[in-house]
Amino acid sequence: MLEVREIRKAFGNQEVLSGISFSIEKGDVAVILGPSGSGKTTLLRCLEFFEQADSGEVLFDDIDVDLRNVTKEQIKAIRQKTAFVFQNYNLFNNKTALENVLEGLVIGRKIPKKEAEAIAKEALDKVGLSDKYAYYPSQLSGGQQQRVGIARAIALSPEIIFFDEPTSALDPELIGEVLATMKKIAKEGTTMLVVTHEMSFAQDVANKIIFMDGGSIVEEGTPRQIFTEPKEERTRQFLKRMLPEYTYYI
Amino acid sequence: MQTLDLHFMWEAFFIALSGAPITLLITVVALLISIPVGFFFSLIRLNGTPILDQLCRIYISFVRGTPLIIQIFLIYNVMPILLERFLRSTHSTLSVFDVNPIWYAFVVFSLYTIAILTEVFRSALKTVQKSQLEAAHSVGLSTCAAYRRIIIPQALVTALPNLCNATTNLIKNTSLCYALSLREITLRAKVAANPGYNYIEAYIDIFLVYLLICSLVEYGFKKYEKKLKAYQCLSA
Ligand SMILES: Nc1ncnc2c1ncn2[C@@H]1O[C@H](COP(=O)(O)OP(=O)(O)OP(=O)(O)O)[C@@H](O)[C@H]1O
Ligand SMILES: [Mg+2]
Repeated sequence: MLEVREIRKAFGNQEVLSGISFSIEKGDVAVILGPSGSGKTTLLRCLEFFEQADSGEVLFDDIDVDLRNVTKEQIKAIRQKTAFVFQNYNLFNNKTALENVLEGLVIGRKIPKKEAEAIAKEALDKVGLSDKYAYYPSQLSGGQQQRVGIARAIALSPEIIFFDEPTSALDPELIGEVLATMKKIAKEGTTMLVVTHEMSFAQDVANKIIFMDGGSIVEEGTPRQIFTEPKEERTRQFLKRMLPEYTYYI
Repeated sequence: MQTLDLHFMWEAFFIALSGAPITLLITVVALLISIPVGFFFSLIRLNGTPILDQLCRIYISFVRGTPLIIQIFLIYNVMPILLERFLRSTHSTLSVFDVNPIWYAFVVFSLYTIAILTEVFRSALKTVQKSQLEAAHSVGLSTCAAYRRIIIPQALVTALPNLCNATTNLIKNTSLCYALSLREITLRAKVAANPGYNYIEAYIDIFLVYLLICSLVEYGFKKYEKKLKAYQCLSA
């Protein structure tokens, strides 16, 4: 469904992505792991065209994009198929929870208001916010805001949702509710590409792990392969740091 | 000590007030022109090419770094010359002396307010984080729709106090139009004061009329600001 070939991206003369290739099938829940600064955020941002990659290719169903010369139409077409959940939620501050979800449906997708409202409410209900339709972001907790962020994404029924560390700006006691929401939509078959440091999510929910370091993919495989028999030393070192109990697996 | 001529003061108050439509007309025209143009310039300053940005900056520092009264004299003296050349080249039967000086006022105060509002809008737009635009893009909004629905409404909240300030300053500055012999508030009251040398009364009247107008404008802005701010106040 989504295939990425040899994405390269440099900021100035610092190469942040040095040829990333992977593919994702419909229904996959892929988790990208990697130390800070390895280029995970940059990768997602390039796929959503917040950042212009220097070269590479993105194949999305029947759309084939050469990243060296992307057209506006291609960006629009890809964004129609994707949604993004941000680390800092990035809800529209001037809109209520319901309006946040409606915005993309009515203005982005041109769905009639009535119909859109039903879809938006259903999405908010799904993330457990049926009593918060009329709340502004400033009136919601971080966990609630992020769940609105997730509702805003799923309401669009995108083919894939990108998550960039959706829980890392949250207080520890609020992480659980967001992870549970993500798990729920994953179980419903939503295709997801998730950058996270939550190992429990990677182990229990993902069916594919991509481990990145220094702008390259070091190793990828099923959670079982990566967590119990990593091939690369760098992967092993990383997991050891992230999972204190990791040694038991060996 | 001579006491104030209250009867004159009462009458002159309404004479001064009768100049308010001209003052307000100049203010409204200047705002109508400089809000869109100033907004456009602020976008250039934020996202435009360095050359265009530099041109805007030169323009702004020219307007803000020189006395308004000098700008008025300059336009008042230079514009007719340019206009006459233009009229002669088009073999028009119009004469520059037929031009109502209010047109010069429109030009001066628009040029002046554009510079002020460019900076007001620029700093307001900068307070809205770029991530709001990205979020809008991610749900399929075009940049234009994102500005219209997400960014401008938020920027407006921060811009409003400064916009109010700019408007009241503009109203007060139109008193300089006496230099164009425009019969607005200040000039009318002064003319009325001439025969009896009732200048103190006239100045108090002028003072009161501007105070009245500016207070009303401020009140209107405050109300509007409160309405726009609804989404922020609720959190408190
Ligand atoms: N806009 C930018 N300009 C310059 N350098 C940048 C920019 N964005 C990211 N970088 C650099 O690119 C590198 C990768 O950043 P990125 O945010 O993709 O890492 P990450 O894997 O998401 O890290 P983290 O786990 O801390 O979020 C870092 O060294 C960062 O300093
Ligand atoms: Mg990151």
